[in-house]
Amino acid sequence: MLEIDALSIQLGEFSFTDLNLNVKEGEYCIILGPTGAGKTILLETIAGIHYPKNGRILLNGKDITNTPPESRGIGMVYQDYMLFPHMTVAENIGFGLKERGVPKPERDAAVQKIAATFGISHLLERHPKTLSGGEQQRTAIARSLLLRPSVLLLDEPLSALDTITRERLRDELKAIHKETGMTILHITHHFEDIYALADRVVVMRDGGIVQEGTPDMIMRHPVSNFIANFTGMDNIFTGHAVMTQAGIVEIHIGTMIIRAVTELTGQVHAGVRSEDMIISSEPFTSSAQNSFTGVVTQIIDIGAYSKIVVDTGIILTAVLTRQSIQRLGITAGTSVWITFKATSVHVFRE
Amino acid sequence: MVQRRLPTFFQAVCIGITLIAVIILIAVFLGLILFSSPEALIASFLSDEIWYAIKLSIITAVISTLICLIIAVPIAYSMTRFSFFGKQWVNVLLNLPLSLPPLVAGVALLIFLSPVTSPVGQFFTGLGIYVVYTPMAIIIAQVFVNAPYMVRIARSTFAMISPRYEHVARTLGCSEFGAFQKITLPMAKNGLIGGIIITWSKAMGEFGAVLMLAGAIAMKTETLPIALFLNMSTGDLDMAIAAALILLIISGTALILFEYFGKDVGDVYA
Repeated sequence: MLEIDALSIQLGEFSFTDLNLNVKEGEYCIILGPTGAGKTILLETIAGIHYPKNGRILLNGKDITNTPPESRGIGMVYQDYMLFPHMTVAENIGFGLKERGVPKPERDAAVQKIAATFGISHLLERHPKTLSGGEQQRTAIARSLLLRPSVLLLDEPLSALDTITRERLRDELKAIHKETGMTILHITHHFEDIYALADRVVVMRDGGIVQEGTPDMIMRHPVSNFIANFTGMDNIFTGHAVMTQAGIVEIHIGTMIIRAVTELTGQVHAGVRSEDMIISSEPFTSSAQNSFTGVVTQIIDIGAYSKIVVDTGIILTAVLTRQSIQRLGITAGTSVWITFKATSVHVFRE
Repeated sequence: MVQRRLPTFFQAVCIGITLIAVIILIAVFLGLILFSSPEALIASFLSDEIWYAIKLSIITAVISTLICLIIAVPIAYSMTRFSFFGKQWVNVLLNLPLSLPPLVAGVALLIFLSPVTSPVGQFFTGLGIYVVYTPMAIIIAQVFVNAPYMVRIARSTFAMISPRYEHVARTLGCSEFGAFQKITLPMAKNGLIGGIIITWSKAMGEFGAVLMLAGAIAMKTETLPIALFLNMSTGDLDMAIAAALILLIISGTALILFEYFGKDVGDVYA
């Protein structure tokens, strides 16, 4: 549906050569990659902001390589919303229809309808500056969706938001995708997005694609270090989340309970990066809300660091420097405390 | 209770020098304001010569400011949004008039436009257009000296607006020019207004370049600064001071207005 064929681009210091990518009709494609990999430039090139040096972009079989952005029918949403500050929310959302010469009554009706689906009807007369991050991003998404683009490009749309707003908006994106069947390309830094949203994942590095596949494939068999570091989630559990107070849940995993900051309840997955684990020989009292004791079963050397595997009833993995391991006197069989914050627990649903 | 400590020696020196500067500034301006008797000043304000100078200054400054704006916006936009070969040299050239004494700019313009010295001048004279020593020369001199300031302010204004606003506008159906005109320009409004105020007030006070290109001809190319100069040289102090006071008021007002519009320029739309 969207075919990128041997695309090369040169932009100042940055370039990529011979990039190929095929996105199927209705697919939710997530693009991963470290900063500077060229993800945003790729999206902007698809949108028509930058013209490639070589190669072609085809949309539904039609060559759009030299079509200006306004005639491509491709929508774009940035991380920092880019709402026009001199217009109200309603004017922002209706901007595209106004450009197309849709008369005001029709336009207003369309704006109100989409605002209602995004729960921002009460904000229509306000200016973007006065909105919260989540409200601004809803407005930005509504603005680009109103034109019913054939492809929607999302450049880290959830990154500037707090955990809870991010979860809600992620659910909304999922619902939109399901309802509209729109083809979506989404750049992210959050691995929860992959599980929750992606049909397919594309990994970029230094202006090239290093891996593509289903989320499961990418997460289980990462070909690049970046992916391994990015997922870094040696600790992934499945459990049942129960809300104890607004925005905080207890996740029951067998007999263990992990506290996490989220609004998701019921059957969930929870991931904690091994770097976010703190190992101590004494009980660790702090604001960190999860602390368990267990026995070290394995120490795996990974260069400057080592992975410590601790059996606390569930298996938890932490990363420590060699000095710390020596200082704490850890060997296989040592009893230790392992602690992590409720905010370090990444909760997601498949 | 907050305990007040004596300032350190270093603090005392810094504050002391600031205080002395403030006192000197007030004394100098008060001296100018109080020198002439009010009756003499009012008589001068109402004289034909000062009226002519005010009118000529305002008209030439308004026209030259508009021309500066029309030139500066596209230049500033290309310097912030596009990259092209030799951009840093263009940058130096554009900024050169900022550090150049206006007298030098005036001489250069005179040689470039005079029918005696230049084919360009002869060309205009051939068309029946006399540039040098006319009010048109005042406008040309003001534009030449002030356009770089307008470019600078417009540039920093555009630089604060992320190009992504335009990118989004394009995907929403705007042409390139449409995105500039409907998104970037309204967002740059306050910065540009600030630039217009500064440029206009500088044009009102421009002397060196105007003197060279338009001459100091009483009741013909006599702007306020020229009126000040002519009356000083003939010893008409009251007239000279009247012109000076008007220029002082214009500068002060412009500065206050610029502060007012300038505060919004600080909103970074990056």
